[in-house]
Formats: sequence, C-alpha cells, structure tokens
Amino acid sequence: MECSEIHEFSSSQIPLARRQMRRSLCVFLSLGWTLLWTMPAFAQKFRRDDPIWQDNDNQNIPTPKKFTVADYYDFLENTFFRAGDKTRKRALNINTLGEVANSNWFTNRHGMHAMSLEELVRGPDRGGPTQEKKWQVVRNKQGGITPGFRIQDATRTTYQLKFDPLSNPEMATAAEVICTKLFHAIGYFVAEDYIVSFSRNQIELSPKAEFVDLVGKVRPMTDRDVNQILSHAYQGNDGRYRTVASKFIPGKLAGEYRYYGTRPDDPNDIFPHEHRRELRGLRVFSAWLNHDDSRSVNTFDTLISENGRQFIRHYLFDFGSTLGSASLFAQKPRAGNEYLWEPGPTFKSIFTLGLWVRPWIKVTYPQYPSIGNFEADFFEPQKWKPEYPNPAFDNLADDDAFWAARIVMAFTDDQLRAIVKTGKLSDARAEAYLTECLIKRRDKVGRYWLNQVNPLDEFQVRGNEVLFDNAATRFLKSVAEAESYQIQWHQFDNRKETLQPTGPKAAVTRKPLSIPAEAFDGPADGDSGARYAMLEISSQSSRHPKWARPVRVYLRKQAGQTSVVGVERD
Amino acid sequence: MKISRLTSAFVPAICASTCWFLFAASAGSPTSQLSADEPPLTREQEWQRQRQAKSAQLKPYRPGTLEAAALYIQNKRVLQKFAEGWKGFHPRLGGLSTGSGFAGGIRYAPRLSDGKLDFQTSGAVSTSLYQFYDLKLGAPRLFSGKLSTEFYSRYRSYPREDFFGLGPNSSKQDRTDFALEDSSYDVSAGWNWTRWLTTGLRAGYLKTNIGSGKDGRFANTETRFSPAVLPEIARQPSFYHTDAFFRIDYRDEALNTHAGGKYEIAYSYYDDLKLDRHTFRRLDAELQQHFPFLKKKRVISLRALASLSDTSAGQSIPFYMMQEIGGADSLRGYREFRFRDRNYLVMNLEYRWEAFSGLDMAIFGDAGKVAARRRDVNLQDLESDVGFGFRFNSIKSVFLRIDVAFSQEGARVFFKFAPIF
Repeated sequence: MECSEIHEFSSSQIPLARRQMRRSLCVFLSLGWTLLWTMPAFAQKFRRDDPIWQDNDNQNIPTPKKFTVADYYDFLENTFFRAGDKTRKRALNINTLGEVANSNWFTNRHGMHAMSLEELVRGPDRGGPTQEKKWQVVRNKQGGITPGFRIQDATRTTYQLKFDPLSNPEMATAAEVICTKLFHAIGYFVAEDYIVSFSRNQIELSPKAEFVDLVGKVRPMTDRDVNQILSHAYQGNDGRYRTVASKFIPGKLAGEYRYYGTRPDDPNDIFPHEHRRELRGLRVFSAWLNHDDSRSVNTFDTLISENGRQFIRHYLFDFGSTLGSASLFAQKPRAGNEYLWEPGPTFKSIFTLGLWVRPWIKVTYPQYPSIGNFEADFFEPQKWKPEYPNPAFDNLADDDAFWAARIVMAFTDDQLRAIVKTGKLSDARAEAYLTECLIKRRDKVGRYWLNQVNPLDEFQVRGNEVLFDNAATRFLKSVAEAESYQIQWHQFDNRKETLQPTGPKAAVTRKPLSIPAEAFDGPADGDSGARYAMLEISSQSSRHPKWARPVRVYLRKQAGQTSVVGVERD
Repeated sequence: MKISRLTSAFVPAICASTCWFLFAASAGSPTSQLSADEPPLTREQEWQRQRQAKSAQLKPYRPGTLEAAALYIQNKRVLQKFAEGWKGFHPRLGGLSTGSGFAGGIRYAPRLSDGKLDFQTSGAVSTSLYQFYDLKLGAPRLFSGKLSTEFYSRYRSYPREDFFGLGPNSSKQDRTDFALEDSSYDVSAGWNWTRWLTTGLRAGYLKTNIGSGKDGRFANTETRFSPAVLPEIARQPSFYHTDAFFRIDYRDEALNTHAGGKYEIAYSYYDDLKLDRHTFRRLDAELQQHFPFLKKKRVISLRALASLSDTSAGQSIPFYMMQEIGGADSLRGYREFRFRDRNYLVMNLEYRWEAFSGLDMAIFGDAGKVAARRRDVNLQDLESDVGFGFRFNSIKSVFLRIDVAFSQEGARVFFKFAPIF
C-alpha cells in the first residue's frame, strides 16, 4: 500500500536521488511488511485449536508470597476510586464460541452438561467429619464475623465450624450449604461444607489447642473459651449444636484475589480479572443468590501441587451472607439494593429531609427466622448490587450476562428443590418459601438477561444446514419464537479478518438455514487450508426489540467437514 | 548534489541493515520462534507464550502507601489493639466538661475473673487543665446477672466552669467562671427484675469545694455574686447522700436508639454533714420514647427531663449543685450551663432519618426552662431552639454527633462522641 502511494508521486520531474531514496524506502517498507507478515500471524482470528476448552493455567510457578487484601482499603478503593480497567471490551478469557474454557478459576459443569440430581446435591462434598470419635478442638476461628472454631476429626481432617446466630436458627448454616452447592454446580471452586449437629461432649480440647485473641496474641485454649464460643451458638431442644463444618481447602494459602488486574507473581494469571467472564458473570449469579458479600475478602487463592507442578487455584469462599442471611443477623433490606455508600440516594435523602423514601425500604419479608430477609417480588436482577462496587461486576456486558443467565436457567425447579433440601431447614414452609424465591428469581434473571441480546444459541452444522435454538424460548415458557430472521452470509478471510458479502440480506421465517455454496469461496488459511464463512443473524420479534442485535456465527470448512468455530453477540 | 549522492548510496544500506536488525531482533524474541513456513501459533501456544513472557518479569505485589498503611493496620490488628488496650491500659479521650478543651488520659481496666469482676481506674487532663480521676470496682453479674453491685469514687477539678446567675432571666452578659473541685465515694446495687426493668439503691459521700475561676476572659463568680447572695461561695458543704431509682428501659440499642423507650425516676436525699445549711431532696425523671417507621429508617424521638428539688426551712442548695440546662445534651441553642436553678424541665423532639447506612440525619427542636419554684415548672415561657444534626454511626452506637442549633442567643455547633438520647 505504502509502495503504490509512493509510485503515484514518482515522476521524471523528481530528482534522481530523491527517486532512489523513495525506491529504497519502498524496498525497506516492503521488507519490513514481509517480515511482519511472516512473523507468527497473530492477526489470524481463528487458530487451529479454536474453540479452546481448556486453559492450561497450571504451569509450574515459583512459590508466591501470600497476597492479602486490606479490607477497608478495598472498600475505599472500589467505592471512591473505582479501580480496574473500565474499557468496554469483550471478556478476554472466553473461547471463540463465547464460552469460558475450564481453568483454575472455573469448570464448566451444570451449564454445559446437565448434572444429575445426585451430583448437584453432593456438590463438592466428598465426606464430612466423622463422629465416631471425639473431635479435637485445635483453635478458635480467625477471620469473618461468625463465632466458631477449628476441629480435627478421627481422620485428622481439619474443619472450621461456624454457627447460626441465636436470633436466626438454621439461617446462616443453610445459606452457606445451599449456596456452596449452587456455586459449585455453576462452575466455581468452593470449599466442602457440611451441616452437622453435635453435642457438647462430642468435642474436646486438643492438648495443643490455641486461642488467638482479638489482638493476635496466642495462648492455650481452654474449655471456658469453647463454652464462650458455644454460648453464641444456637442450641436445639435436644441440646445439640447445629453447625456448618467447612473442610479446609487443599493446598497452601496464597491469599486472596482482587476483582481487577492480575497477580504480578503468578505467570498463569494473564487475563485482567475485571475482564474475566466468570468474574463479570458472577454478578448475575450473585444477584440470583443475593451474595452481597461477593468481594475480595471472600476469595481464596491456594497453591496446589500436582504432578510435580505447583500453581494457584482460585476459590469463592464464605457464603454466610447469601440468600436472606447476613451471617450474624437477617440480611438488611439495603443489601443487594444499594451500595454501602452511594452518593445519589444519600444526597436525595438528605436534601428531601427523608421525605424521599428508597423503594426497597417498603419491601416486606415473611417472618421465617431460618430464612432471614429474602424475597423475589421486588428483586430486579439488573439493578442488584453488592456491598460496594466490584470492578468485574461493573464490566458486566450483555454477552457476559447472557452466558451467566443460561447457566442460571439450567437449574430446574426440581433441582433447586433438591438443593434447598441440603440446607436441612426444619420448617417445611420456610423451605418451600426459599425454593419458590429461588425459582422466581431465576426466572427473573432469565427473563431480563436472555432478552438483552439476540438469544439464539446452540449453533451447529448438520449437512449443509445451520441449526440453532433460542435460549429465551427454551427456558422461558411464555416467550414466543422470533417472527423472522434477517440473515446475511459472508465469506471470511481469516488472515486479514475481512468479510465479503455473498449476496443480499434475506429475511427468512424458518430454520435451519442452508449454507450457500459460495460462502466458503474466500481465501483459505495457508497452514490448514481451512476456509471460513460468517452468518450474521438478527431475530425479529415485536415483543423483544433487542433480539434484533446481530449474532455472528463463524463456520470453518476443513477437510470436507464444516463446524461452528465462533459466535459473537453485539 | 554531493549530499544527494551520498544519501542515495547510504539509504539502501541503512534500510538493509535496519531490516536485518529487525529480523534479528524478532528472531530473538519469544514470540517469533517460528519461521515463515511454520503455521501460526495455536490459541494454547499464544496463551502459554504470554505466560512465559510474564514469567520473566515476576515480582511480588507492592502496595501503594495508603494500601500498605491499611494492610499494616489490618495485619497488626492496630484497631483491635487500640480497642483492647495494652495489658489493660487504654487511651482515654475527651469526656470532660464541655469547654474544657481537648482532654486525654489513660484508663486501666484489666479483665478480671472472666468479666465477673469489673475494675477500672482512669485519669485525664485537658488543655485547660481540667482534671478527672476515678476508680470503679464492681460485680456486674451476680445471681445470674440479676444483681449488680459497685463501688465508685471520683475526683474532679474543673477550673473554669461557667455561671450566668440563677433563674430563667439570667443574662448571657453575666457570664462568670469559678473553679469546682469535688470528690465522691459511692456504693450502689441494682436488681434486674427483667431484661428491661431495674431498680436500685445508692449511697455515698460527696465533698465539694469551689474557688476562683481561671478563665481570664470573664469575671470570677465571687466578684459578681457576693457570699450574701450565694453563701456557698464562702464555705462549701460535704454531703452524705442516698438515692433510689426505678428504670424501665426497652430501647433496641442504648447508644444508637431507633425504637423503644426509657422511663426512669430517681429520688435523692443530700444531707449536709459539714454545715447543716444545704440539705436538700431531689426528684429526677427521664422519659424517652422512640417511634420508628419505614423499617426504623425514620424515627421520631421524644425526650422529657425534669428535676424537682426542695429543701427544708433554712436550707438552700449550693448553686453549683443546682440543675443546669444549655449545651450539647439539653438546650442545644444555648451555651453549656446557661441556666441554673433548683428545678428544670427540658423537652427534646427529633426527627431522624437515614442518609446512608453509616449516617443518620436529624432535625430537632429543644425547649426548656429552669425555675426556682416547683409550680413554675410548666410549659410557659420556655427557652427554645431548633437545629439539624449528623449522626455517624455503627449498628450499635453513634460515634460522632455533629449538631448545629439556633436560638435567640445565636448559633451553636457541637461535635460530640456520643448520642444525645
């Protein structure tokens, strides 16, 4: 290009030396261009191994220093300075189909392949503490706000015991276990949690038991310490204490992770967290489950050693403040509706002398102490907020939310009912209410987020046709199919990333869609000989105007086989 | 021309060498291990190359100054240590008389018998040389928490206390000051009938002394009010006193109340042991009620305080032991100690609303009066003020209260580390 431009200006009137200079420059640029071209072709949109389903972020790393997030600083930074990159861009760690590859952050589970009821109910659990012998109390609980202590069972496995507040028996423990199962099925790494009950004589002090006081001073733990902790725990009529026993996460604690940036000491961590889809999409899951405490202090990085390599695995941690629970008391109505500090409502309230009333204040909650404050009627998934801004949540794009909403919708009523049962709520009405809320909130999540984009999905090629489905109609009973589809076929040059329309736009009312013969007439990839086509589809629906946002589906034809290699949503 | 030739000769060479340099550099870079004939990197390879590149420049995370400070405070548990104290020693900030300047000191409160015994002693001095020392020894949870007993002793030296004269018609211009010094030794016992109902008895000895005020801006009290008018200026009594109280308290949080009420009545008898001229009786009453609405995000709070004192014939009450109103905890539009007399009535009305979870706003009105005679304790000729305030709070307590009040005597701003009620 540069060369031809120079030739245009070349004329006999230009002195020879200048012409030679230009020629030389032309040669230089040509060489440079060639060099760049022959360098690894990063411009290529699709690679041989796309779509990738496994991100091998388990390369051996040097032992990292424990990274601790300063709790109050995290609040200040995210509330007043809005940390992280706010550039609007697609999530960076997705594959070309717009899905999240399995990694040490996320594993595709229920959203990808339906888990059995047994798998869902079991969650991450592999067996809780045995009660054949007395538990040895080894230390009081550190961190968090709920009372508790650590025990070792007969197998010398360590568990942390946490209790319900006296005012709300069963609330925090049920929320913890139910949400552990749900977040596990969604795809996150979570600790094993078990609801168990025990009598006072089930526990005894280990001779080496330590008590770490508020100021960090360590002294031998006494029975009085244990009794003091138990005095804050709910005790049933049978004299037994109900607790959630959290099994210690395997590996060595490497700290917490931030919802922005990457760990500078972890080479496997290459995607800024605010641009990771599973962290952006966590906002949708957190909204569904009212996980308002979804912030850095409730994450857990652990150094795993496997097959001679050590690497960091990233966990979500502590679900005591989910559903209607705030761990120590019933959740406050503000939670999920407003940040701890939000200037707009604050000044509105100040300057109207309180005559303006925040809408969430008027919400009423049924009186189920074991549930706390949880409801589904006022809930609006797109307006839900955690305790303070979360950089990854702030970057949630419609396609991130669509990805997450499909996973939420994958949970059927029966599956949710079974998972709620793992909370072992003694009040059947409370259990039914909680299930009903989760179903209603699930449907609201689906109804909103599936309809913010063109919800066509599950693209596949059969013979010479493209098949697809509509996630909104598949998951939501009341949603009707699109009235028609506006389609446009293109040849796609994978190296130059250019498109060439193969014909006019067309409106069709039926599916599947035939692939025109000329769609693959574009240039072939040099290395593989693959040819590419792109189908752009807009769905026309009078009830859902956002379905008109196009979906671009990329097909690859190689060795006579055609497959879907890319999906992009506007 | 020579330059042109020279240039024409060198340019190709420069271009060639630049290209070679580019090629050589790129060949050495981790992103170009493949030759032109090799296929492009796979996605997996590209991501692994990014990881290799990052491996070459690993470094531990280095927090900024503010974050490092926050981490230090968190990891070293500075706030917890501040709250918990060191070997039972705690800093003591403020808490002396308003107008005393900044006060600081030390409190020693070791944990004894797992909280069954309560021992505390403290001392504080302010920038205006106010001094305060006290000692408390108690057993707060006897008989399963039903009975609490306590011994309490206090010494105060307040060198510049205000006095404007007695009665409702005292003048702001008559401001004087005096030095107050007293010591007290009390024993008390309270019985908690229920969580919300308590009765109790107290008995003690109180020794008082006054002298010339140390505030050079104002006249000394004795120069404006002669011993003929206020005989206690010349000689101060010592008292033996007994008190009884009855309290109903069902507020949701005592230090950040949004619901409930408190009703307390106390009767005291002060017997002048030294001069036999100042024996008096006093009845104090406090009524508080809080009316929440909109899930306690709005509260209307009412409080009435009344104190009635009387004496037998020939007896009087020392002016510095009379009840006073004015200031941050009663009539906020007036100075501290602005009105004094034997009896008083104060009423506070507040409308509070939540601005956000850490701040409640308030608009308020106060009214009150002092009176020499009990029959004058009524709703006529009340002093009044209005104002607004900010209450920074946690769930359990208001830790900073800023009130701005306006009265006919001007505007007053208060910064207090406790709620008004």
